[in-house]
Amino acid sequence: MRRFEPPTPEALARIRALAERTLSGEEFRAALAIPLGVEEEEESRSLIRWFRGRYPTPAARLAYARRAYRRWAAARPG
Amino acid sequence: MEGSLFEEAEFFRAVARSGARALLIGRRALIALGIPVLTVDYDFWLHIDDIARFNEAVEPLGLLPTHTPEEARARGRYVAQNDERVDVLVARSVPTVDAVRVAFDEVWPRRLGLEVAPGVIIPVPATADLILTKRFGARPKDLEDIRLLEALRREEGQ
Repeated sequence: MRRFEPPTPEALARIRALAERTLSGEEFRAALAIPLGVEEEEESRSLIRWFRGRYPTPAARLAYARRAYRRWAAARPG
Repeated sequence: MEGSLFEEAEFFRAVARSGARALLIGRRALIALGIPVLTVDYDFWLHIDDIARFNEAVEPLGLLPTHTPEEARARGRYVAQNDERVDVLVARSVPTVDAVRVAFDEVWPRRLGLEVAPGVIIPVPATADLILTKRFGARPKDLEDIRLLEALRREEGQ
């Protein structure tokens, strides 16, 4: 198995710029005009049902999110 | 993120007690409503007259504003930060990417109160208004968030 090589700072900066860029009004409307597929819709709703069921209060959800972020940050390569 | 003594419940309590008209927006609001997404910061849309009140409330927690209230009013946003980052939008109205002006004074009366810690209620925009705020930035992740918020609305039968 090949060892994971973290992306270079330059590559990360390019990815960040792409993810953070502001779409034009036309791009934004065009993207929103594409309806969600049945499976995608069900997947989103199922995720929401699970989260709200497992963490029934806003406080529990916020606490979960902070734990999840800490786990993600700790596991982040580099 | 664990370097400071930041306590989320204390932070929200301080904001709630301040009396500042501050709406929790951004992904932290999605999470509180029941959408599992990842985020690092806090986003608020603050009434333009309540900047000093908000800052006074969070400064004891080490959150220091990057700009004075006058500068923040002129710029339309600022950050309160230490190891945590709180992005604060301060505009009477903000245009969406498709040029719809969204006014704080219209969104505020429709707010929902969420109990984010025992006895601590933080206001978030009504779901339809939260969707509009996601059209301010119009980044790819905002599109994803709008889809999730719409799924939430359908889940709630709205």
